[in-house]
Amino acid sequence: MIRLHNLTKRYRTAAGVNTVLDNVNVTFPVGKSVGILGLNGAGKSTLVRIIGDAEPPDSGTVIRKGKVSWPLGYTGGFQGNLTARENARFVARIYGESTDYIEQFTQQFSELGDYFDVPLRSYSAGMRSRFAFSVSLACNFDYYLVDEALETGDARYKEKFRLAFEERRATASVILVSHNEQTIRRNCDMAAILHDGHLTLYDDLKDALQFYSFLQTRAA
Amino acid sequence: MHESPLEQDAKLTFADIRDAFSTQARVINALVLRETKTRYGEHKIGFLWAILEPLIMVLVFVGIFSQIRTDSPGGMPLIPFMLSGIVPFTLFRDPMTQMQGAIAQNRQLFAFPQVTTFDVIIARGILEVMILSGVFIFLLAMTDLAGYDINIERPLEVLAACILLAMMGIGFGFAFASISPILPSMKQISAAFLGRPLFLSSGLFFTAEAVPAAARDYLLLNPLMHMLELLRSAFFYEFESAYGSWYYASIWAFCTLAAGLLIHQAMRRRAVVGI
Repeated sequence: MIRLHNLTKRYRTAAGVNTVLDNVNVTFPVGKSVGILGLNGAGKSTLVRIIGDAEPPDSGTVIRKGKVSWPLGYTGGFQGNLTARENARFVARIYGESTDYIEQFTQQFSELGDYFDVPLRSYSAGMRSRFAFSVSLACNFDYYLVDEALETGDARYKEKFRLAFEERRATASVILVSHNEQTIRRNCDMAAILHDGHLTLYDDLKDALQFYSFLQTRAA
Repeated sequence: MHESPLEQDAKLTFADIRDAFSTQARVINALVLRETKTRYGEHKIGFLWAILEPLIMVLVFVGIFSQIRTDSPGGMPLIPFMLSGIVPFTLFRDPMTQMQGAIAQNRQLFAFPQVTTFDVIIARGILEVMILSGVFIFLLAMTDLAGYDINIERPLEVLAACILLAMMGIGFGFAFASISPILPSMKQISAAFLGRPLFLSSGLFFTAEAVPAAARDYLLLNPLMHMLELLRSAFFYEFESAYGSWYYASIWAFCTLAAGLLIHQAMRRRAVVGI
């Protein structure tokens, strides 16, 4: 369960104060995957970072029961002068997972071959992202945060990841930000719309998507 | 009493506190192992250098001193005298300099919510103290094997003095680590005002007894001078200092550590952002 309690977040910009979260109170139920919809600049990514505790809210709290991942595919947490193996073991240690298991799974799933023992800084963007996806998948998270990026690599690798991720979803939930209705429909049980600082949770995916397309046409 | 579901969720239980401590222990352990890799990993000579640097320094100063004076300082044999000044002093200096860059050089780690600024700073301090303790013991053993009898008079007091030195270094380390992301020139400032001047004025190369009384009063304001005097008193049968004060040294060590932690607490949010 993830509960947002009185969350407020504002950004000061040249154009004035932008309130992206205005006293938000929402509970994401256990076992449900939730899509977060919103127009450009509504604050979806900010919300995901706050849920993942990568950024503090101005006020309010997030109550998390269960392990929450960092945004899927995010490579910013890794150290460039350490190898993939060392980075994987580090992640395993801080999350209290078995280092050997995480190392093995990541090595196999990332298909990096000899590069697994080369410092990350010499990786291409694609290799780095494959590594990041594999480590996330190896860890036993209860919640996977996804900010748009839900796939990586070529068609074959995408399919391989999709299948593995689906398997993972038997025990884990997803909180997914996307512009793409198709992605939300495929991965989520329900959806929330972030608009004007308010987050509204819809039990029925159809209602949410309907309201979202209304918002989009109005904005256009 | 009736409680809303939210209050139940937010209540801090014993299990929560235990989890928080075990998470922190896990993170610090992971960071220490990681720092070991990033510090020495790519250059296998790194660990060797940790031993060679103080060894060379001791040999150079022993060489200089044996040329300019014939009597041993305070009745202590020259090589153990230098060793017991230089390596304990690095127990103060190295945590201070190594911890300084902890936040600035590890910023990407804060993407992981369980990694705090405290963790990355203390991990460097722990690594530094572990390395230097190993180096000190190794060099003492080598000196003993080389035929200079190492016979420590009061080992527990030597340990206590080493702990005070490390506490001072860690206290400064926390302060500098929290300030330097906001004030990058902090590194030069600390090197210019603390590193070299203290290296020369903390009694690494002389005892308080040996300096003129007028200078001694000023030198004894320096708590590191007290710590080294106390350390050598406990180390050598030949030497008892009339000047080292445990009280003065401890007050400084505890206050420096407390001040360092307070500065870290006050600055840590700004330090992560870097403004």
